[in-house]
Parts: sequence; structure tokens; C-alpha cells
Amino acid sequence: MRMKIGFAQPVSIIMLTLGTIALTTSIMFISTILAFIGLGLVFWGVILLYIRPEEYTKKILLEAALSPSLATLNQMIQEFSYKGDVTYLPPKYFTDPETTKIYISKDKDTSLPTPEQVQKYENQPVARTPRGMLLTPPGIQLSRLLEKSLGTTFIRTDLKNLQQNLPKLFIENLEIAENLEIRAEDDITKSTTIYAKITKPFYADTFKEAEEPSQLTASIGDPICSAIAIAITKATGKPVRITDTKSFEDGNTIEASYEIIEE
Amino acid sequence: MGFPLTFWDISLWLAVTAIILLITSELISPYYGKTNILINKKRLRNVSLIVSTLFLITVAIRIATIITSP
Repeated sequence: MRMKIGFAQPVSIIMLTLGTIALTTSIMFISTILAFIGLGLVFWGVILLYIRPEEYTKKILLEAALSPSLATLNQMIQEFSYKGDVTYLPPKYFTDPETTKIYISKDKDTSLPTPEQVQKYENQPVARTPRGMLLTPPGIQLSRLLEKSLGTTFIRTDLKNLQQNLPKLFIENLEIAENLEIRAEDDITKSTTIYAKITKPFYADTFKEAEEPSQLTASIGDPICSAIAIAITKATGKPVRITDTKSFEDGNTIEASYEIIEE
Repeated sequence: MGFPLTFWDISLWLAVTAIILLITSELISPYYGKTNILINKKRLRNVSLIVSTLFLITVAIRIATIITSP
């Protein structure tokens, strides 16, 4: 259970006040001890105010907000009965390079649409075409948060940079998960597969109770896997597919593999 | 009436504070899995680095004083 430091502000103010009094007294009476005490109190009072946490949301509220949207996505995909592959489209498919969409083809083994075909539906959150569907991925906001933390857009990075920086963003900056490992492997056909292992993601409990996702929803990915797919597609400039996701230890470890599609 | 602490007293105080801050910052780092403590860890780390740097500056001044003294 998280301990909330709710009393930090009054304690800081008391420390600042006492510290200021001690410092003033030490100057009047030339007392080294009082000066040390005053300096310490003032410093720690300021530190307590400065390192106060940002607004935190109870985990149970986050889970309550997250579950319905993912369940709706799952039901929507099943209703439309799309059977094709789910592909994360790179920035070159869109007029606005910061846009990211996923393309779900109606039938299996259908080729990807052309950028001109995609751009007609670019601004719609969900767009159905005769051959497939364009959808805003669930990890889009998380990927924007990652870019904001990184200080640059993923378009300006490359795969190697991503392998170095994403774990730091996940673990240290945003504390999304306890650990993230990313490795890339090239196979004999020169296509690249990326493996990601996420340990203790923040939503591990949410997905313990959620219904089993369909094959298609698993290919879209949960918000974290989706955000990683968006990062990969932007960094490489190529379409990406989530080929496999596995959950272990009650959702505490997730392994996902991403295939970069050579066009 | 003057400030009762000398430059070297402040240097000593900076050293002690830097050690406390650096150790605290490292122990509550998310890399050790300690994610239940609700403080802004990045700011704490920045403060500890600034205080350490200030201490090192006082050390540099001390060394310069020793070198340049006749």
C-alpha cells in the first residue's frame, strides 16, 4: 500500500520558520551551532517542498478507467469480424508525421494500402474501408508521453537509440514497469524481429481479471505493447506487426515480439 | 554581527548533506524496485547532484588556495 506524504507542506513551513529563526538568532549571538541547525532546517524544509510528488491517482481508479475502453475495443473488433493482420503504419503513410494508425485488413494475406488511400481517412478515429479498417492504437497517448519524457519524437531516433532509451523511460522516468528489456534479432531472410520483455507493468492487476482477448486484439496489443510498437514503427519508418504476446506469472511479466515488415 | 559560519564550515555541511542526499537518492531509485515511496525521485536526484557539485567546488577552492599560498 502506498504511503502518501500529505503532511509535507505544513512540516516544511514549520521547518522553514524554525530554521529562519535559528539563523537570525545565530547571527545575533554569533553561535555556530545555531547556524548549523538553522541552515539544516531551512535546507530540508525547502527540499521537502521541492520534492513533493505530482498528483497521484489511486491504482483502483486507473484500473476502473482502463478496463472498459479495452473491453469495448475487443468487442468492436469481434463484431466487425475482421480476419486479417494488424499492422502499425509508419509516419510516411500520413500527411501529419506524428499521426499513428493501425490497419486491420478484412481478409488474411491482403497487401497494405497505399499512403494515398490511408490519407483520405487520416483524421477519423475509426475508419472502415472496403479492404480494411484504420484505427487509433490504444498506446498512442502513452507513446506521446514517452516522447515528451524523451524530449524528442521517435521519428528522430533509430532502433538502437530506442533500445538504449526506452528502458530508462519505462523504469526511471515514468515508472511504468519494474524492468524492460528490448533486443533485436535479424533472421536469414534479413527481416528484423524485436523482442520486448516487460516486468511488473503498472496495469498487471487489471488484466488478471479482464476477459481473454481475441487473436486480433492481442495483435493490437495492450497500451504498453502498443506504445512500443508505435515507437518502433516511427523509429524505423517501416510497418510493424505484433506477432506474439505472452503473459506469465499472473500478468507480472509480458513478452511481446514485433516484426518489422520490409516493403 | 556577521555570519557565524566560515567557508570551511559550509564546505563540511555541504559534504554531510551531499552524502545523505546521494545515499537516499540511490536507495529509493526505481531500479531497486522501491516504487512505493511517493516523492519526486528525479528532483531529489538533481538536488543531490547539485549539492555534491557545490561541495566539490569548495574542495577545488581549497586546493587552489593551498597551491597558490606562498
